[in-house]
Amino acid sequence: MTDVAETNKRARFVPGQPDMWAFVLFETLVFTAYFGFYLFYRARSPELFLHSQAQLDLRVGVFNTLVLLLSSWSVARCVQSSRAGAYRAALRDVYITAACAAVFLSSKMFEWARLVRLGDGVDSNDFSTYYFFLTGIHFVHLLIGFVVLGIVVYQLRSPERRSQELVETCATYWHTVDFLWVLIFALLYVVR
Amino acid sequence: MKVEFNKRLLVVWLILASLTLAYVWIDHSVDGSPRPSVVITSSVIVIALVKVRIIFREFMEVRQAPALLCRLTDAWVVLIGVSLFTCYIVGLMGK
Repeated sequence: MTDVAETNKRARFVPGQPDMWAFVLFETLVFTAYFGFYLFYRARSPELFLHSQAQLDLRVGVFNTLVLLLSSWSVARCVQSSRAGAYRAALRDVYITAACAAVFLSSKMFEWARLVRLGDGVDSNDFSTYYFFLTGIHFVHLLIGFVVLGIVVYQLRSPERRSQELVETCATYWHTVDFLWVLIFALLYVVR
Repeated sequence: MKVEFNKRLLVVWLILASLTLAYVWIDHSVDGSPRPSVVITSSVIVIALVKVRIIFREFMEVRQAPALLCRLTDAWVVLIGVSLFTCYIVGLMGK
């Protein structure tokens, strides 16, 4: 083996704690099951789902997705800054992430309120049930994400507490919330 | 300490944003006749899976992780795709 190959092998690392990766893969499977049921029932009664889907504003979905992608980018920068020892920049990136998450949550609550005003409740029809269930459970994951970001801030603020592994673990959770939304957005707002 | 701006992450975000905006284009292309479409549904799912893989590889740093994690996350993306398409096709057949 060449020196370069050996160096590459040594440089490879699992970002964060392996337990978090087990959680990520498990959580993805659970959501895949939800998505599978949704697509199954959607394929069986496409007109009903299309009719209800028309109430959603694609622009709001796109905006929310871009905001969450921004938050993911910001957390990725936080991990790199923290790794480089630039803790002030890392803290700034966590605050940007939290701000993006707050924008997403506000936008989501406005969208829910608008749909309810239009007469679309949780039990209005199958599409609405899936819409409120999937966005609701994602909302809960995002709220947990605020706690996770709080842990990163707590870690970064004091030199005695700083743990790169924990920062990476928290970032891994945050990215999971992001990619789950990427799938939810595609399935609820765009598929036909 | 100052940290150098990572252009790669910016490019990744721009690609993800472009793929998101591609949905707007897809939506506009069928606005006149909002009918069920297997082609659009399949394209949308594939784009979403590509985005998930990019997030895994770039934002979650799987690109720099040991081969096992790389293969595991790739397998997971394939697993999601196969599950979604299977459920969709089974639903279509039972219509």
